[in-house]
Parts: sequence; structure tokens; C-alpha cells
Amino acid sequence: MDMLELRGIDKVYRSRGKPPVHAVRALDMMVEKGEIVALLGSSGCGKTSTLRMIAGFEDVSAGSIALGGRRIHELPPARRKVAMAFEGYSLYPPLTVRENIAFALKSAQLPRGEVTRRVDAIARLVEIEDILDSYPRAISGGQQQRVSLARALVRDADLYLLDEPMGQLEPQLRAVLRGRIKSLLAERGMTAIFVTHDQTEASALADRIAVMEGGVLQQFASEKELKSRPANLFVASFIGEPPMNLLDVEVTRSDGGFRLSVSSDMSFTIGGTGLDRAVEQVLSATPQVRIGIRPQKITVGTGDVRVKVISNQWLGDQSHIAGDCGGRMLIAVTPGRVAARPGGIVPFALEPRHLHIFGPDGVCIRHAEVS
Amino acid sequence: MARLEIKSVSKTFGAARPADGLSLAVEPGEIVAVFGPSGSGKTVLLRMIAGMFEPDDGDILVGGRSVIGAPPERRGIGMAFQNFALFPHMTARDNIASGLRAKGGSDVAGRVAAISRLLKIEHVLGHAPRELSNGQKQRTALARALVGNPDVLLLDDPLRNVDAKLRYEMRLELPNLLRRGAAAVLYVTQDYREAMAIADRIAVLIDGRLAQVATPADIYAQPASVAVARLFGDPTINLAEVTPVAEHGALSAVIAGAKMRLGAGDGAAPGPCWLGVRPEDLAISSVSGEDAIPARILAITPMHEKAVLLLRLSDGTEWLAALPPDAPLGAADDAVFVRFAPEAAMLFDRATGLRIGPSHRLKAA
Amino acid sequence: MEHSSLAGRIFRGAALTLILLFFMFPIVWIFLMSFQTNEQILRIPPRILFEPTLSNYEALISGQLRTAAGNLQISFMRNLFNSVVLSSAAVLLALLLGVPAAYAFARFKFKLGETIAFTLLSFRFAPPLLVLLPLSLYYQELGLNDTYFGIVWVYQLIALPLILWIVRGYFEDISPDIEHAYRLAGHSWREAFTHIAVPLAGPGIAAAGLLSFIFCWNNFVFALILASADKQPVTVGALAFVTASGIQYGQIAAAIVLSVTPTLLLALYAQRYLVEGLSLGAVKG
Repeated sequence: MDMLELRGIDKVYRSRGKPPVHAVRALDMMVEKGEIVALLGSSGCGKTSTLRMIAGFEDVSAGSIALGGRRIHELPPARRKVAMAFEGYSLYPPLTVRENIAFALKSAQLPRGEVTRRVDAIARLVEIEDILDSYPRAISGGQQQRVSLARALVRDADLYLLDEPMGQLEPQLRAVLRGRIKSLLAERGMTAIFVTHDQTEASALADRIAVMEGGVLQQFASEKELKSRPANLFVASFIGEPPMNLLDVEVTRSDGGFRLSVSSDMSFTIGGTGLDRAVEQVLSATPQVRIGIRPQKITVGTGDVRVKVISNQWLGDQSHIAGDCGGRMLIAVTPGRVAARPGGIVPFALEPRHLHIFGPDGVCIRHAEVS
Repeated sequence: MARLEIKSVSKTFGAARPADGLSLAVEPGEIVAVFGPSGSGKTVLLRMIAGMFEPDDGDILVGGRSVIGAPPERRGIGMAFQNFALFPHMTARDNIASGLRAKGGSDVAGRVAAISRLLKIEHVLGHAPRELSNGQKQRTALARALVGNPDVLLLDDPLRNVDAKLRYEMRLELPNLLRRGAAAVLYVTQDYREAMAIADRIAVLIDGRLAQVATPADIYAQPASVAVARLFGDPTINLAEVTPVAEHGALSAVIAGAKMRLGAGDGAAPGPCWLGVRPEDLAISSVSGEDAIPARILAITPMHEKAVLLLRLSDGTEWLAALPPDAPLGAADDAVFVRFAPEAAMLFDRATGLRIGPSHRLKAA
Repeated sequence: MEHSSLAGRIFRGAALTLILLFFMFPIVWIFLMSFQTNEQILRIPPRILFEPTLSNYEALISGQLRTAAGNLQISFMRNLFNSVVLSSAAVLLALLLGVPAAYAFARFKFKLGETIAFTLLSFRFAPPLLVLLPLSLYYQELGLNDTYFGIVWVYQLIALPLILWIVRGYFEDISPDIEHAYRLAGHSWREAFTHIAVPLAGPGIAAAGLLSFIFCWNNFVFALILASADKQPVTVGALAFVTASGIQYGQIAAAIVLSVTPTLLLALYAQRYLVEGLSLGAVKG
């Protein structure tokens, strides 16, 4: 069942003397009960406006929001049954950490023993047991963020909204806390939406990721699908660390299939049999398309693409090799170490089955085969 | 071409001691990353070298000549700041040229043009800083630091305020740019990946002291202490409290009921230790065995093309495993068995935190 | 936030009009008075419509005050000139002394720094009359009584603390890294001060200068006691309008209009500059 339904949401900010800003356009999104969804995008993409409309801090300019079957977009925030963790934490300064976390539980008039039990449990989860009696100003930014998370997660709500929930966390704690919070949300069947600009965080926590840009939802899918089947150029170049290598190619016919030439000494042949009709149509109609290949799909050390190494960086668990190939930069990522010095020549293998092809309008017309 | 030498430099601010007997030498053309958690004294060190304040103790030499007491403008130093610190009332061009003009250099326009071409900001040279994007601001700030070919280049977390994509691009470009003028480069960062990607050597600064100075690969494979080991690696290294026992010249330790063979140490039992195993060195399977730690999967969090598993060992300890995406994973709540190769284990003395014995953890090609 | 409802907009307009009327009324009324004769002004009920006359301005400029009891000599134009000279010189001197001092207080932590800064501010707390009694004795000894320099000096009590404290705040808002960057580019601290700190704090310096100009312009007591007729500013000179045969409201109104004009012009000019300066932005981060 859909827990949250956003239908035709528009948000226009009007201020006098300036052209109106269309922050969110015709957004449709269904979130299932128990699902964790990330709103991912760079600043100004409309993700925060969307979250604030669901929370009730912004009016919708058009469209409707329903939560658990109730229309909520005309209700005040307090009556929507949503819990929120704010990006700026917004802890109550005169209250201790414990009182901050217990605040909503106390106003819901839960028995005292229950409040203590719940606060202690969530405090253990985010590792703030030792600062429960401190005041917000006395603790570090990372600790404040964990308190703010605890204050939201401790509540009973239909929906949990988290604005950049982990940006300030200490790096050593981040991976563990992601796991624990994901496990808590799953165990309790909590539905959560969080905003982030960090795709590592989005893919670690979320079941599905909504990629936004220019107020428009670009793709709403699982992390795996975003990577293997990006809807368009934007998603392809935004998702993935490092992002997908993109190359312009000339399309020519070659015995039944197509030849995609990057340069005179680098080309790929695809097709013949098994090529989709729609792909064939686009390729026959356009002389130039763009192809993409994930850095992880490039094999280093074999192959017929010879690149001049720009940099070879070993990060402890993987190597990133950037190479120049006729003025274009290709980045390859391999798990092991590679003996290549800047300036040297290294072969790269790019297999046609790993290529994504993007039509002239940026829409992906053919995805790489899933190996 | 000058060597930067820092000799037992100390500095105290009230109760804080951000520099406590620091010694470090940077060769011309070398990039040394100063890496450490926030508040460990990285910025203070850079500022002492730049001459914004003087150390209480010790000496700083550029090209063999002490610069203590010399004003910043006469130390031959170029610097890029975390907050860019561009002159807001000057165009990008004037920002970059200010140093050349002050020194009365010739062909100012030509040199500004050359460095801007290298940093790809030629098209915004006429803009004021407020009209630039963060990435362009950072490039302008870098151009300003580089254009005078200083003897010493100081970079104070220059990629902190640019977005992930630009940061990645700059990470690839920077080493070549920085090496161009054969300056001695100190590069402060809070991101261990950035340090590993850019630097020839990394100086790990913890609480005003250098915990380790070594190449990126050495620091990752042979951290000097448990504190250093925890700073490198994402996810962080897994730790367990163990007291290894020696049998037939080999060490082993009991972790959550399982007896694990350890490759670290010299065969003698070292007393109470921290055992450290990197998440990518753990293997997961559904097959039990005497050499496997029983665990339960709490959550799976994909990360950097890998699957990161949060595991709860049977004694309640939480460990993280980072597996290749095509490895068989299981699902949350599955019971699994965790193994690691003896040589993947590192041992750290529980009292001092220092690593024990030679590491054999030199995997990969 | 959007305020799009019609009722809201009407209410806002009405409220703004009321507030504007409330604050502008005295100024408009005085402006109108300055074109009326004493009889017209004292008429009850007052009228909005009248035959305007320039006689008040004529009297001020020619220095001939016509009263019921005959003509009086006044030196209003001389007073106005004194006001301009005294206030400008005082503000200039205070800027020369105060801006470097403010920079020192903002950038360097030195012994007794805060104490000195506060002491300078505390001069503003002292009742001027208490300061003046001993001061007038000293001034007589030193021969500073009734000199432009003497008055400009004593005006520093007004202008200097104001400039020091306002400009200090602006200097503190500039990231020291910007100056550090300029020094590393090969400039001395003096160049960093004149080429980076002062231009970036420009709006603040202008605001502080303008405020202290207004305070100096409006000062009454210092000049009343320390200056004789030919050094008096308008504030003191205005006393001449209270004559034996009554108060010359028309001429007072004209005098007010004339003496407000320089400050108003300065404020309007500086306002444009202030806005320009403040939108410079990018000083932080």
C-alpha cells in the first residue's frame, strides 16, 4: 500500500521585483509503507522544498499530499503525524539532551518509565548515552546531529523526515550508524524520507532514490537500477563515484549493425541481431550520439584502447586511474593496485556490452548489459 | 627550489597545545598531506609556517634559512585557504595578479593568462569573486597561490567547500598542478581519500603530535597506532579486544567464541591487545567452521560500488564488512560466518595503542 | 513568504501610510512654516493653504531679523558655515585617529585592549556639563577657548568613540584570511590595511562617519560654553531667534530647513554609497 502519495506537486516562490522561482514541477511520487526513500540532488534542485511541503512548513502551490490515506497538505505541521530532523539540528537550548529527545514523548503523555526506556534505547543506538545530561551548546556538531536524529526517531509517527541527517557525523561513526539506523527503520517498519546531496549516503540508507534536478524528478528507482539503467544523461553523470565516463561518438552503419567511433583509432560495433527496434531507429536517424561507461567497467592492463596516464591514485582499497585518450579523459577504477606512472601508456578495455547510449535529447536509449 | 624544514616546533594557546614538538621536512617537488581529525592542529601548523603567528619553540627553515621573525610577505610562501579568501573588491584577474604586481615582476599579464589557462578559468578573469561559482573561486584562489612560483605552497583544505564532483576532478588534477613549480607542498585535509590521492607522503597529526609520517600505501597497510588505523579507511577498521595466545610459534585469539589465527606479531604472546581487521578483508559465508565467527547481518548499506554489511557478532560486537558488489550477500537478519586471513589481522597494544610486530598485510598487486 | 491576499495588501498599505504620516509630519509642517509669516503661523485654526513668502529666508541670508521691536543683526549664515567647518573637521580628525585604532582593536589582542576600548566608549556616558566646567578653565589657560581647533578637539568626545566602536565591528567581520592572503602575495601590513581592510570596511566607515557628523552637527553645549559669537554653530546661533519681542517662528523654521539640508544631502549621498558597499558581499566565505 502506498503510505505517502504526492500528486502533481508544484512549488513556485514569488517575491516582489524578482521573477518567480519554480522550485518543484509536477512531482508525482508514491512511497510504500516501510520504505526508506532518499531525495538526492545538488543544492537548488527542489529536494528540500519537497521535504518542507510534506512536513507542512511550505504550502503546495498545486497538487495534493496524502499520508496513510489522509489528505494532509492543508493541515498544520503538528497534525500531520510526521517527525522531522532538521539540517540545523534546532535543538532546544535550555533543555538537556535527554529532555530534548523526550520532549515529544512527554507531550504525548506517555508514562515516565516508557519515556526513559525509549530515550535510553535510542541514545544507545546513536551513541550519545554519555552526554544525555549535557546541554546542546556543550556538545560538538556531530553529537548535536545525533541528538537531532534521536529526537526524530524516538517519536511515533506515520512518516519520518530527515534533512541531511548524517552530513556532520564523525567519519569513523558514519558507516556503523547508517547500518544501525537502517536496521531500526526496517525492524519497526518505519517509513522515512531523507534529503541529501551525498549519493554515498543515499545509496547506503535508501531502498529507493529520487534523483531531482531543476525541480524535476529525473528518476525514482533503487540504487542498483540508477546505476545499471540511468534514465538520462543527468542521472548517468550524477550517480556513481566517480561518475560515468561520457564520450561523443559518430554513428555509421556497418554490416547490419552500427559503428560508434570516438576517434579514428577507437570505435565500437554494436547490433546486428538483438538490437532493439527503437534503438535502431534513433541510431539510423542521428549521426552523433553520446556513449557512457562506468569507471568500474573499464578493465585496466588489457584491451586495445591505449591511454596516457594522467594520474594513478591508490586509495587503500581501490585504484583510480585517469587516462588521456586523444584529448578525452577516461577514468577507470579497479580494486587492486596498478603499476602505472603518470605519462606512461596503459591499455584500457572498453567492451561494447558495457556501453550506455544516450540519444540527442539526453534520454538513455540503450543500457549496458547487467553482467 | 627550496626545502621546507620544520624543527621541533611547539605552540601553546591557553590550555590547548596544537603543536607539540613537530618535526617534518618537505623536499622541493614533494607533496606532503597533513591529515588529522578536526582540532588536531593542522591549521595552526600552516599558519606558523606562513608567519601569521610565531611558534613558541623550534625553528622553521625554507631553503635552509630560518624564517622565524620574517614577515609573511618575505617568506616565499603561496597559500590557498579553505574559505578561498579572495579579495572581494578585485576581479579574478587582479586577485591572481596581486602578488606579481607587488613583486614588480615582468609579463604579469602573460603569467596570469598562462596559469588561468592551466586552471581553466580564462573565461571568468573579468568577474568579481561574488560572480564566481564555488569551484571557480577555488580555482582562482589556487591560481593566486601558484602564479608566483613560491618556494613553499600551503593548502588549507582547499576542496572543503566545493561540491563532490568538482572535488573529484580537482583530486585528479591537483598533483600535477602542484608539482609543476617544484615547490615544497603542504596540503591540509580532513578527508583521508584526498590525502591518499594527492600526497606523496602523509603526516598524520593527532593532538598536536605527528603520529606517523609515511607514504599513503604504507600508512594504510601498516598504521603506526590504532588511532591512525581508525582514521584511514571507509568504513572504519573493525576492532576487538583480545588477549592473543602463542601456540607452535603462531598467534591466535578468541573472538566471539571463535579461535582465529593471527599473522601479526613475532610469534610471542603480546598481552592485551586491540585486534584490527579492515572491512574489505572480511569474508562472509553461510558455512560454519571452527575458524569462523558466527554473526548476524543487521543491515546492508551499499557504498562506493561495494556492499557494506553491518554485522553483530555472537558476543554483541558490531563489525562492518565491505564486499565486492557481485559477492553473495544474504539479506538482513541472516545468520552468517565471518572469516579473515591471518595476515589481514593487525594487533595494537591495548595500553599504548601502538601496532605490534611486522605486518604481513601487503595485499594487492 | 508570500503575501498575496488582497486584504493583507490593503492593510499593509494603510499601515505604511499612517506610519509615514506620523514620522514625516513634523518635517513637512516645519517646511511649510518656513514659507509663512509669524502671523500666518499663529493663526487659529492653522491653514494648509496660504500665500507663500520668502521673507524668512531673505532675513536669514541678509542677516537682518525684523521683529515688532525693530531690526536685529543675526549671523545665521556665519553660524551655518561654522557648523559645516566644525563638524567636517571633527569627523575627519576622528576618522584619521579612529579607523586605525578600530583596526588595532579588531585584529590584535593586546594587554588592556578591551579596557582601553571601553574607557573610550565611557566618555559618552559622562554628562557634558560636568566635563565642560574644568575643561573651560584649561582651555582658557591653553588659549584654546574660542578657537576652531579647540572645539574640534572637544568634539572628539562625541565622534571618536562612535567611529571606533562601529568600525571595529566591521573590521571584525572581514575574514583575516583575506588580509593574510594579501600579505602572502607580497604586501606589507600597511598595504593590507589600506588596500584590503579599509575598502572592505568602507560602508561601515561611511556609516560611522555620517552618524558622528550628525551628532557633532547637533551638539549644543560644548559650543555654547567654549565658543563666542563668531565661532558658534547653528545650534547655538538659533538662540538669537528668541528675542525680547517674541519668538520668530517663521525664521526659526527657515533656519531649521537650511541647517537640516547639509546633513540630509550628505545622508542621501552616503545612503547610495552604503547600499553599493553593502552589496559588495563575498567578504565572508
